[in-house]
Amino acid sequence: MSLSKAEKSYIQTGLLSNPPLRGDGRTLDDFRPIALETGVAPLANGSAKLIIGQDPHGGGGGTEVLAATKLEVENVQDEGADGGRVVCSVTCSPTAYPNLSPGALDDLQYDMTTILHQTLFHPSLHPPNLGIIPGRKSWLLSLDLVILSDTGNVYDALFMAARAALWDTKVPRTRSVEYKARQSGRNAPKDPATMDVDPEEQSGFATRKLATATDFELADYWDEGEDLGGRSGWPVAITLNLVSPTHFLDASPPEDSAAPQKVLLAFSFPESSHTKLQAIRSLGSGELNVPQLKELIATGEKYAKQLFSALNSKLKEEDIRRSQKARDRFAKR
Amino acid sequence: MGSRVDLLNHAGYREDGRTQHELRDFTVDLSKHGHADGAAAVTHGLTHVLVTVFGPREAKSRAQTMHDRANLNVELTIAAFSAGERRKRSRGDKRILEMAATIKSTFEPVVQTNLYPRSQIDIFVQVLQQDGGLLQACINATTLALVNAGVPMLDFVCAVTGGVYSTSPMLDLTLLEENDVPNVTVAVMPKTGKVTLVTMETRLHVDRFEEIFRLACAAAKVLHKEMKDAVRHRTAELVSAMGAGHGAPDRENTMIMDES
Amino acid sequence: MITFTSYPTQQDYSAHSSTKHHPDVAEDVHMDLYDDEAFAAGAKLTLPGEYLTSSQAFMRGHGTYVNDEEVIASVAGTVERVNKLVTVRPVRTRYNPEVGDLVVGRITEVQPRRWKVDAHSRQDAVLMLSSVNLPGGIQRRKLESDELQMRTFFEEGDLLVAEVQAFFSDGAMSLHTRSLRYGKLRNGQLVVVPPILVRRLKSHFITLPCGVDLILGLNGYIWISKHVKESDQEGEDGFDAEAVYSNKNDDIDTATRIAISRVSNIIQLISAHFMPLTGAILLEAYEWVVEQDCGTKDLFQDDLGDALITSLRARG
Repeated sequence: MSLSKAEKSYIQTGLLSNPPLRGDGRTLDDFRPIALETGVAPLANGSAKLIIGQDPHGGGGGTEVLAATKLEVENVQDEGADGGRVVCSVTCSPTAYPNLSPGALDDLQYDMTTILHQTLFHPSLHPPNLGIIPGRKSWLLSLDLVILSDTGNVYDALFMAARAALWDTKVPRTRSVEYKARQSGRNAPKDPATMDVDPEEQSGFATRKLATATDFELADYWDEGEDLGGRSGWPVAITLNLVSPTHFLDASPPEDSAAPQKVLLAFSFPESSHTKLQAIRSLGSGELNVPQLKELIATGEKYAKQLFSALNSKLKEEDIRRSQKARDRFAKR
Repeated sequence: MGSRVDLLNHAGYREDGRTQHELRDFTVDLSKHGHADGAAAVTHGLTHVLVTVFGPREAKSRAQTMHDRANLNVELTIAAFSAGERRKRSRGDKRILEMAATIKSTFEPVVQTNLYPRSQIDIFVQVLQQDGGLLQACINATTLALVNAGVPMLDFVCAVTGGVYSTSPMLDLTLLEENDVPNVTVAVMPKTGKVTLVTMETRLHVDRFEEIFRLACAAAKVLHKEMKDAVRHRTAELVSAMGAGHGAPDRENTMIMDES
Repeated sequence: MITFTSYPTQQDYSAHSSTKHHPDVAEDVHMDLYDDEAFAAGAKLTLPGEYLTSSQAFMRGHGTYVNDEEVIASVAGTVERVNKLVTVRPVRTRYNPEVGDLVVGRITEVQPRRWKVDAHSRQDAVLMLSSVNLPGGIQRRKLESDELQMRTFFEEGDLLVAEVQAFFSDGAMSLHTRSLRYGKLRNGQLVVVPPILVRRLKSHFITLPCGVDLILGLNGYIWISKHVKESDQEGEDGFDAEAVYSNKNDDIDTATRIAISRVSNIIQLISAHFMPLTGAILLEAYEWVVEQDCGTKDLFQDDLGDALITSLRARG
């Protein structure tokens, strides 16, 4: 968004004045109201829709992100990895960036994908329950995010939506299945409900091999299952916009233009250990010195903790609301 | 035919409980979206599409400027999680480009582009969920978004899919049905009954075609009523809201230049 | 402070759904709904493709076309008949300029002897070098050096207030700032609203008692700034180019800044409810907000915002 020098100066002076003043009356650490809903994509294993700063009176606007996870089975020998794989991708819908050329859109998408993937799917955060049969089958977890609208602070929105979608993800429970020869010698599989039979594995009769699981079946319907593991370890991100010597949160588009230098910090708050700083990114042009950075990290951690707690409460609330809705619907039948 | 599932059972019901000619639940949401001039989110059952329109506005590149009319630019994005099977499609995917071109050619004769020389009208189609009838949903949503944006059009464009299961015609097919029976998508302008699009990728017996075509046209008129209701409702809301203030009448209508 | 709104996440203002019937049956089911909403606020509503009148009796205007001796609507909006002319005014559309309109625009490009200005319309507007005031007096002739220093006057991103002077053959507006009230804008912030909500008034320069000036651009761009006293504006002879084309803001005190933010939020609230904006309405709204003694950002909360809108509607 382009602004005149006068507009930029007005915003900057306001931020640096005492008390600091923002264009819409917020304080420096105020977020615009955030709307969050989980379970918005019934065909996905987990999903969430998050909107920051939508006009509550139907005026539209806001930064809107849709996130969804899908689980697919992979062969460990082919593309899979023992213990499962995770991939993440961000798509910038042209709706959100109507003034960008397709090439610029691709570049932006790529940058965002990289940041999200490297932070969220760092090996230390790998969900523990993505394996099916060790050495043979595993889950591929794909996290896809779509940005439908961008009015500032898109990174915080992306990370929050990602966390919400992952929280909502249920991994189908599987049971390993073995094939045994019948007395008659016919080599039909014993269990008729078996899914996804691997042709070359069908003969578990190779007597030299030990009896091991060669296939699996789903224990539940696809929409039940266990929660994706490791949720206390997933990080949230907070973007601090810098106007030396202070900083502010949740920039609107004019504020973004007037204070282009930002620092993105991702923190995780695992239950059993210390807070971890998962990622730092410096966005936009400008220099940072080390004492400044240290201070920003310390302050950022406090903001991130607030965000983390608020997000968790909201996610739990959503779980309760949806199970209540499902119960009501069932009762009506 | 060899379907594992009976698409139309003896009692006349389809897989999802509908009768042969019954259309799926059709919802329209015309609320404001971002900075778009017009937006429409449409669902046909479980198929969910969002279309936003920007323009007419200054053309972004000289190459796309036409001296005597506006340039219609359609961009289609399909979310990777929209179908049962996850599939990430790049922007240059052939299917996507083809569908976008189809949408563009459907609307080119309907939008009065000659009123806006050297301008551009951007139509961004975002598919969020698909369960059959994708082109149908995209076209219906585009019509509503264009009307919402105040872009002059000759008429609404209403689309519907039709198919034939053995000898029984069916309307508004789900993905399961689309994969199994020959099907055709028809888009009509209800006032004149003119057809702006007919597309079919399967093989259909010539005798069956006329029947299903006629049925689809009639069904499109039903959708037309729904679409009109939604637009009328929204327009009435906005006009009432505007009149609620100190609505002093503004300038008189002066004589206008001929636009032909 | 981070807050999450409670469910539902979005008001569906126009969500419409119903089950479908066989084409024969459907006809009867929908009849009554149609009649109820054919009119709103006393005006007849229409949709693209709808028949309006015979083209023998009436001339067609904007928002309509003729086919087979019928005048048919091409947009969704209100039908207006003046004498023998029938037009349809769309309820949401880009700004339709007229000569003499006051607009607020942003410079997008600097070209030889002219600037391109984004005015929220269908095409960028043009501001010719010959249409601006040059330093040294209004009657000064244009020099060649001016052409080379165009960015000392306006550069990309600058906001200005101007008047529509004329139209080019392709429909683009030509603007001029040849008045002391026009020119570069500073000391404030911009709010964008749908253009149709800005009515044509006697004066688009409004002063609110809290020390805030408003410029209501007919193109939907509204400039809110610190009040400038009349006496501070230079007279004809001492045209101070430094001041007029300066990018430097004056000192603005906290109270004024808070007032500017308040007015900004009020305008966004009113435009979200699609109510027209006039000086009178804004004044009433501001007084209400002061009476209620609410914080600037509290207007974002549903209940307070709704209360304000209700009170405005009641007084109107």
